[in-house]
Amino acid sequence: MKVSFNWLADHLDLSAHSTAQLSDLLTFAGIEVEGITERGVRSDFLIVGQVISFVPHPNADRLRLCQVDDGSGTPRQIVCGAKNFAEGDKVPVALPGAVLPGGFQIKESQLRGSLSQGMMCAGREIGFSDDADGLMLLPADAPVGTPIHQYLEVDTMLEVEVTPNRPDLLSHLGMARELAALAKLPMKSLGDHTDSSIKQQAASAGEIRLDDTAGCPFYTARRIRGVKVAPSPAWLVRKLESVGLRPISNIVDITNYVLMEMGQPLHAFDLSKLQGGIVVRSASEGETFLALDGRECLLTTADLVIADQQQAVALAGVMGGALSGVTDTTTDILLEAAWFQPSRVRHTSRRLAMMSDSSYRFERGVDPQQTAGASELAVRLILELAGGTAEDVLLTAGAPPVLTREVTLDLLRAQRLLGTPVSEAEATGILTRLNLKPVGSLTFAIPGYRQDLQRPVDLIEEIARVYGIANIPATTDGQFVPASAADSFYDFKMALRQRLVGQGLYEAQTIKLISTAQLEDALGTTPQLLPALPLRNPLSDDHTTMRPSLLPGLLATAARNIRMGTSSLRFFETGTVFARTPDGKAIEKDALTMLLSGPVSPAAWNTPSPRVADASELRAILDALCPGVSVKLKPVPNARLLIAAQIIVNGKPVGNCGQIAPARVRALDGRHPMFAAEIDTALLLKAMTREVKFDEIPRFPSITRDIALEVPADLANGKLEDFFATRKEPLLTGAGLFDVFADPTGQKLAADKKSLAYTLTYRDPAKTLSTAEVDTAHAKVVAELLKALPVTVR
Amino acid sequence: MESALAELLKTALAEIPTAADEAALEELRLKYLGKKGSLTAVSAGMRDVPPDRKAAVGAALNETRIGITAALETRKAEQIAAKDAKDAEGIDLTLPGRPVSPGALHPLTQVLDRAVGILRRMGFALATGPEVETEWHCFDALNTPGDHPARHESDTFYFDSGHLLRTHTSSVQVRTMETQAPPLRIIAPGSAFRRDEIDATHLSAFTQLEGLYVAENVSLAQLKGTLEAFFRALFGESTEVRFRPHFFPFTEPSYEVDVKLSPKGQEPRWVEILGCGMVDPAVFQAICDARGDEVYHPDKVTGFAFGMGLERLAMIQWGIPDIRHLIENDVRFLGQFV
Repeated sequence: MKVSFNWLADHLDLSAHSTAQLSDLLTFAGIEVEGITERGVRSDFLIVGQVISFVPHPNADRLRLCQVDDGSGTPRQIVCGAKNFAEGDKVPVALPGAVLPGGFQIKESQLRGSLSQGMMCAGREIGFSDDADGLMLLPADAPVGTPIHQYLEVDTMLEVEVTPNRPDLLSHLGMARELAALAKLPMKSLGDHTDSSIKQQAASAGEIRLDDTAGCPFYTARRIRGVKVAPSPAWLVRKLESVGLRPISNIVDITNYVLMEMGQPLHAFDLSKLQGGIVVRSASEGETFLALDGRECLLTTADLVIADQQQAVALAGVMGGALSGVTDTTTDILLEAAWFQPSRVRHTSRRLAMMSDSSYRFERGVDPQQTAGASELAVRLILELAGGTAEDVLLTAGAPPVLTREVTLDLLRAQRLLGTPVSEAEATGILTRLNLKPVGSLTFAIPGYRQDLQRPVDLIEEIARVYGIANIPATTDGQFVPASAADSFYDFKMALRQRLVGQGLYEAQTIKLISTAQLEDALGTTPQLLPALPLRNPLSDDHTTMRPSLLPGLLATAARNIRMGTSSLRFFETGTVFARTPDGKAIEKDALTMLLSGPVSPAAWNTPSPRVADASELRAILDALCPGVSVKLKPVPNARLLIAAQIIVNGKPVGNCGQIAPARVRALDGRHPMFAAEIDTALLLKAMTREVKFDEIPRFPSITRDIALEVPADLANGKLEDFFATRKEPLLTGAGLFDVFADPTGQKLAADKKSLAYTLTYRDPAKTLSTAEVDTAHAKVVAELLKALPVTVR
Repeated sequence: MESALAELLKTALAEIPTAADEAALEELRLKYLGKKGSLTAVSAGMRDVPPDRKAAVGAALNETRIGITAALETRKAEQIAAKDAKDAEGIDLTLPGRPVSPGALHPLTQVLDRAVGILRRMGFALATGPEVETEWHCFDALNTPGDHPARHESDTFYFDSGHLLRTHTSSVQVRTMETQAPPLRIIAPGSAFRRDEIDATHLSAFTQLEGLYVAENVSLAQLKGTLEAFFRALFGESTEVRFRPHFFPFTEPSYEVDVKLSPKGQEPRWVEILGCGMVDPAVFQAICDARGDEVYHPDKVTGFAFGMGLERLAMIQWGIPDIRHLIENDVRFLGQFV
């Protein structure tokens, strides 16, 4: 909201405070000042001048050489580029020494060879208007030589952010009351306009009928006849402009003035255009309404309307109608002041996307107790500025609801919650300055405009706010907090991340919402992918569904980096993936996904063509990810991968991996095979959780035997590894693959065979083995092997 | 005899430095100091030295031996040094090394881990909760009015089930209090979602870090002290922090916290980082109703809560001008935060 200092000065004397002080005072009381603008320049060097004569500049067609009366008796020569003035016009003149907005300093200077002793100014240059075209022309009665700030009103405007709990601050009166409490200043006797002396008279059903008392419990109308609609006087125009409102006509401007003064929205109807009395009712389904801004609205029964006997003439609290408003020819008016249910106003305003200064206030909560007073202030101004005769009664229907009650302060609780011993005198002092009326021991009556103060804690907040957090000590306390399951999981995931970074992978973070098309890229951690979870109200086609897998995001990441010329793609991501149960419930899991493609390192002088990631690279990184535990890849077909395997850690399946279909990689413009793995992080933690115990370091040497086997081409290395791992032979401590050989031409080895060669390690923990002992054990292992698997020794 | 010794030393000192290799040097050692060497031969004359001269000649003999030995050792060291130098010949340490892919943690992870690390040292344990939430956990339990704009379909993502994507991690406060009795001291990092178009300053999914401390007599003074200590640990000991009163439905009193920072290339200015406050009694009441007990009764416990956006923190710390960098994962971006 925009607040004018001059307007505030109607209510309290702020002259002892600088703009910066007031800005801080408000900000640290929870009313953030987001901007400060100045109207005009408070400088004695900016004066009213009068153009005596001018001639074209001898050296520049666009410039004029002017003689200007500055009141000193000696004409002053000023070079000017504007053309919109004549001899005798009065204009603002900045004399040498003036500093204009933006820090622009005026000096005597030579312009294209002619002396210029100052500057004649446009409205925008001196902050009085937005007009930058031509000079600002002053009225003929402007006193030559007088500083402008003594002739035109100079003002400071604050742009403040009012939080939704403080609608009472959406007016100058409210802001003044707040400042008075914060700065300990007295309010001027101008009063708060709420002491209404007008006689209230219950309206007859023919005059005002409330059909929806929940939506509108209180409605008042005052009829004024014989008004003359005309432009508003300068003071009113100036006030409205200072808060960013456009003046329209005296009647409308007065309602806007009261809105900005008291925070009470009013509406003036042209009485002659109303067909009979006022009815406040719910709209009927499908009813149409032509709003003031020209929009045709289709209404529902949830909307509250002000109607005459024929049709809706206003959307209650939101906007008036185009056909019943005040025009230049209006002579009789009906002035509405009412209180509408905030939720009803909010509903209609939001549904129709129709925001107004009125709806903004009603939906946050207007003080019902000020309705009559606001009406009276407006009527007084109408009679003053537009003439006419007002009826001597205010017609009312219903009664203003009472929305505040007495609240008792729990001082001890306040002291404990704030952590500082605020004294009773201090606490009550703060509350009474905020116009809370003590009605008993620490019990206060709350004014109608402070509907946010309903509970004891609300009073504590007020004390904290005004007392100031700067005056509250800063204390800390440490205490032992046991690690939670979430702590362990966090640490585990961080360790996984660090391991992958150690392998030269980059951590990506992608959006959790993906497009329907991207679902094709999902991998998942289980053999079957569960149904995905779509949003009901997506914002765009790119983000329709919760990601069921991290792979779609990583493929998008790969595509982006390929586009940017990166060929080495080493990414991983860890985060939530989502699925849906058959009955529509959400399932959330934590996944870890990696994507590998292209050179494993950059090319360099000693590595001109680095190794390109292959299946063994994927396997190596999986091994690095899970040190100290058995990692096995069990080939299992997967519709989403060219070749695929289940990842088995310590015997438990934890995810899927494999090579992405080359066609998909080509679609991303990828030039190298692409590999991916997706792991259920919680399952991995479970599989990797083990108790580590010390193993005696071998004291005796081991002896190795190599064995080369001819095996069918489709026999997986895994089968042999499993065979060696499950031997009961106590001396065999390990088997490592050291060679794979195949000859598709069939010359050195049959084409349907391949050769796998292993080094077997034998060791006795208690002594050095003899050759004979090793030979016996090895022969036994080989014999078992030949029996168990379709292999021959080469 | 002394003259013979002097002559011997002179010859040896001239010859030893010319020994070409280890074998030649050994030959010279044997020639001078060996059992059949020159010095042994000369020392045989000791027998004929008169007794009053024995001490002087003995000393001269010893000096000659020391002199020759030193010369041999010096030459030996020279030979080793020359051999080592030859081994290292041609090695240029300034050549680039074998290339490796450096890899890096995402900047958001780094910011999160720093913040989490500080808060854990201050005695906060981690907590988590689902991202797909019920309206009750996200709004009702947090004292948010039924017609609050945040609940609207235009601001929040919903599912057909009526559940929603949590709009803040504050729902984890509710989840944790539902299942754990006080005292409670938790932090909850995680995703939150708002139905915003993605642009330079907005993401539809972003990362928050939530904190909650509930016990008997938790005070505003403790909230202030905790957050001041947190920001000093995060941004440096001399960091200035200020609290501005604000409004949130789930805390009262509520504050926004600004930290004075110098974003890249800018003068120091107050940057809004965090929202916080004392847990509203209505939140505790909702928890009591859900639990069916009174351990969180608003007369028994008080608490503070805070929440901050981590993208903003990362952007400030590294001077990242556009939030979209954080989701595009360009290696030229990620590689800057190794």
